[in-house]
Amino acid sequence: MRTSYYFTGTALAILFLFPLVWSGWASVRTDTGFGLENYARLFSSANGIRPVHVLNSVIVSALTVAGTLVVSTFAGYAFGRFRFPGRNLLFLLTLAILMVPYATILIALYVLLGWLGLEDSLIGLSLVLIVFQLPFSVFMMRNSFEAVPIELEESARVDGCSSFGTLVRIMLPAVRPGLVTVGLFAFLSSWSEFFAPLILLNSTSKFTAIVAVVNMRTASHGSIDYAALEAGVVFMAVPCLVLFAFMQRSYVRGFTSGALKG
Amino acid sequence: MKAMLAAVVLLLATAACGADEQGAADDGATLTLWTRAATESVSKAYADAYNASHRNKIEVTAYPNEEYPAKLASAAGAKSLPDLFAADVVFAPQYAAQGLWADLSEQFKSLPVKDSVAPSHVRAGTWEGLNFAVPHTIDLSVLLYNKDLYAKAGLDPEQPPRTLREFAEHARKIDQLGGDVNGTYFGGNCGGCIEFTLWPSVWAAGGDVLDAEGRSARVDSPEMAEVFALYRELYDQGAAAPASKGEAGPTWLGALQGGKVGIAPGPSVWLDAIEGKGVKTGLAPIPGVNGGESTFVGGDAIGIGATSSKTQQAWDFLAWTMSDEAQVEVIAKRKGVPVRTDLAANKYSSADPRLVTANGLVAKGKTPYARNFNATFNDPQGPWLTTVRGAFFGDASAALMAGNEAITKSLRQE
Amino acid sequence: MRRRAVSGALYATPAALLVGLFFVVPLLLVAWMSLHRWPLLGKPRFNAPANYTAIGDNALLRDAAWFTVQYTVLITVLLLAIAFGLALLVQNRRPGVGFFRTAFFLPMAVGFASASLLFLGLLSDEIGPVPSGGDSPALGSAVLLVLWRFAGFNMLILLTGLQAIPLDVYEAARIDGATRWQLFGRITVPLMRPTIALVLTMMITGSLLAFDQFWILTRGGPDNSTTSLVMVIYREAFVRLDLGSAAGISVVLLVLLAVVSSVQLAVLRRRSA
Repeated sequence: MRTSYYFTGTALAILFLFPLVWSGWASVRTDTGFGLENYARLFSSANGIRPVHVLNSVIVSALTVAGTLVVSTFAGYAFGRFRFPGRNLLFLLTLAILMVPYATILIALYVLLGWLGLEDSLIGLSLVLIVFQLPFSVFMMRNSFEAVPIELEESARVDGCSSFGTLVRIMLPAVRPGLVTVGLFAFLSSWSEFFAPLILLNSTSKFTAIVAVVNMRTASHGSIDYAALEAGVVFMAVPCLVLFAFMQRSYVRGFTSGALKG
Repeated sequence: MKAMLAAVVLLLATAACGADEQGAADDGATLTLWTRAATESVSKAYADAYNASHRNKIEVTAYPNEEYPAKLASAAGAKSLPDLFAADVVFAPQYAAQGLWADLSEQFKSLPVKDSVAPSHVRAGTWEGLNFAVPHTIDLSVLLYNKDLYAKAGLDPEQPPRTLREFAEHARKIDQLGGDVNGTYFGGNCGGCIEFTLWPSVWAAGGDVLDAEGRSARVDSPEMAEVFALYRELYDQGAAAPASKGEAGPTWLGALQGGKVGIAPGPSVWLDAIEGKGVKTGLAPIPGVNGGESTFVGGDAIGIGATSSKTQQAWDFLAWTMSDEAQVEVIAKRKGVPVRTDLAANKYSSADPRLVTANGLVAKGKTPYARNFNATFNDPQGPWLTTVRGAFFGDASAALMAGNEAITKSLRQE
Repeated sequence: MRRRAVSGALYATPAALLVGLFFVVPLLLVAWMSLHRWPLLGKPRFNAPANYTAIGDNALLRDAAWFTVQYTVLITVLLLAIAFGLALLVQNRRPGVGFFRTAFFLPMAVGFASASLLFLGLLSDEIGPVPSGGDSPALGSAVLLVLWRFAGFNMLILLTGLQAIPLDVYEAARIDGATRWQLFGRITVPLMRPTIALVLTMMITGSLLAFDQFWILTRGGPDNSTTSLVMVIYREAFVRLDLGSAAGISVVLLVLLAVVSSVQLAVLRRRSA
């Protein structure tokens, strides 16, 4: 029983980790052996990654994570603890975001950001990314708030806290695992999102790193520089992998603290 | 007397006007230029040279090849196209028809060198008699062959095939070297690759694949069928690499760089990339089945964004890119193909006879013209790829007949 | 009570603004576009219901719809089975379980576009360790990618459902002499129904809207055998430049998804009530 558990688990773990390990290996393999040539090409070729692209990715990710946390915390609190007109409609609309083919509303979004003066802007891009993050994060935060014992909130109210005071002092610490999970996923998807920045950003100096990686993909007639491509994949994945590996405990708790019980 | 006076006044007026325009056209404006990643290095080379000698400043932004049309479409939908944008020349009629580029007819008419500007590219940028785009870069299809494998197989590396039949013989002979060496290679799952490499053989035989207006297909012509049959035989006999069947483009260049392919049609711009891997490569025109030669004049065309407010400055840049200075010192210097037929032989190309051969093909080759070209031929979901697959790997004559109908329907779709 | 309603509405305002501006407004614009011949530049012309009637004649779309349904069934069955298996494997605390969970979940940390690029190399003849040979099993590679990337995520969600089942329920059944399979069939699955419904909804919606994996890995080929519905929408909008037609197909797809999801939500509601 025990050995079969470890045997199955290890075999599966190897299967799941293999592509990651392989991409790391492929990214340092060169014509002559091993080396960092592929990375050099990734950063030095005409359409490769520039420091400013990495900075842009960091800015967009930071804005998206912060925005998602603020909006979904307030919304989760509202949905989980209050009754107000339009509550169900808004909740369903938020979930419906999952059901729209991306390709469809991109042109409309592009037009819209133009109206708002947010064309070719990292802020505009972050707003769009926050919206696409809402179904998951609002759902998660609503359930996190619902799972907090009602007595906790009532004791705060007896102490004379306003609803905002209750949120900040009592509720936030209680929903922390949910916040970590929501923040982590917002980071992941904004860091590696490709289509939205491609369509919504217009100048090289505004591009995020993933756009540069995909730019590396093609020479003329669709031929691909695979080695530099894998270097790009690894470069994009490492920050996420490190974050995920270290925060394993927190997001597992985020999920299990009642967050996704439907 | 009166007439003469009028003429003098007119002359003065034009002169003054011309001088005025000159000043207004290079007034230090910043112009945005969009291009696809594959063309970026050329666009940047143009921009750097122009920026160094002008007050205007060109800023180049490149997008991934595959997603570039989507980027252009969404920018057009939001009425925020860049001042200048380049596009695959076969897409040019569609963009011209959709009004994405500004009308350049007047400016182009007064360009002194207009008659030697690659005629097939100029035609591609024309819609209903008006010019919307001019050539930006040129990429030709040619035969590329491995000189070492030629010598090994007992063929003369300086005697490339003169007919497509001879090409097939050479490929078979090299394939007999055995091991992992293959006679030839083609993109059997890539519509764009096949039109680029096979159509010149049809043209060389005097046939055609499309009518002049791009509204009817002639894919079922005997010339086209003969070319397909020849490649199909090479594949069936194993002289073409088995990977040709699945090749959708990504590994095409890599296959030629590997040095294991005898002779294959491909883009002339790959010459450097292949030799860079230490493969000694020869270059020859693509022949017809029984002789003749032609080429697919590909590359990118460029025009002024229809929503741009800086058309004068943008034209100043475009006119400059077609000048002797730009074509020789920017394009020829980096071993590119000049967009001017009168510059095929220049001080840089004369160092390498292969380049003179390639450059000379521009005047002989064709750029097919159709408004719905992309949706019909280049898009993997278009009817052309289905036809190609049938002609190579299925029931060829049925595929060409059905394909002709489907392609014509797609070409005419509004 | 009125004051609570006001504060609730206030807390929901940022989300409402974002959803309204960046989702509802574009959606209405798409619906409006679907009633017109909509050129990229220039004046739209009202042509309803031409964009909808054209859907019936679109042979590519018919094939794509059929393929997308098959793909959805395939992915849903495989992904649910694998994710459930993984969840059962790592549900109990014992040494090493943290490592296993992390290993299964880690692929989720690679963005979907990056993951698709990773597999593009992994399955390529040029540098891949598992070259697919001339005829690439295109559908297989996309399925493999999706299973690899999403199995761990779904495992985690199912795990939350598993751990919410009180242990004494199992104990009682075991005392009654139930076998392991009976435990699974009579206790685990019924009590997990809300979680399973949630996971299924996400899988089905995601598969019906599949795009990235095919766009990057297979380009819809070979022979259009992996052309999904959203790829057809993309082709209508960005290759044919017919925005009205693309909008029409999108509206139909959206309505279908809404129907499928509300049926599933009803199941979800019934169980949690």
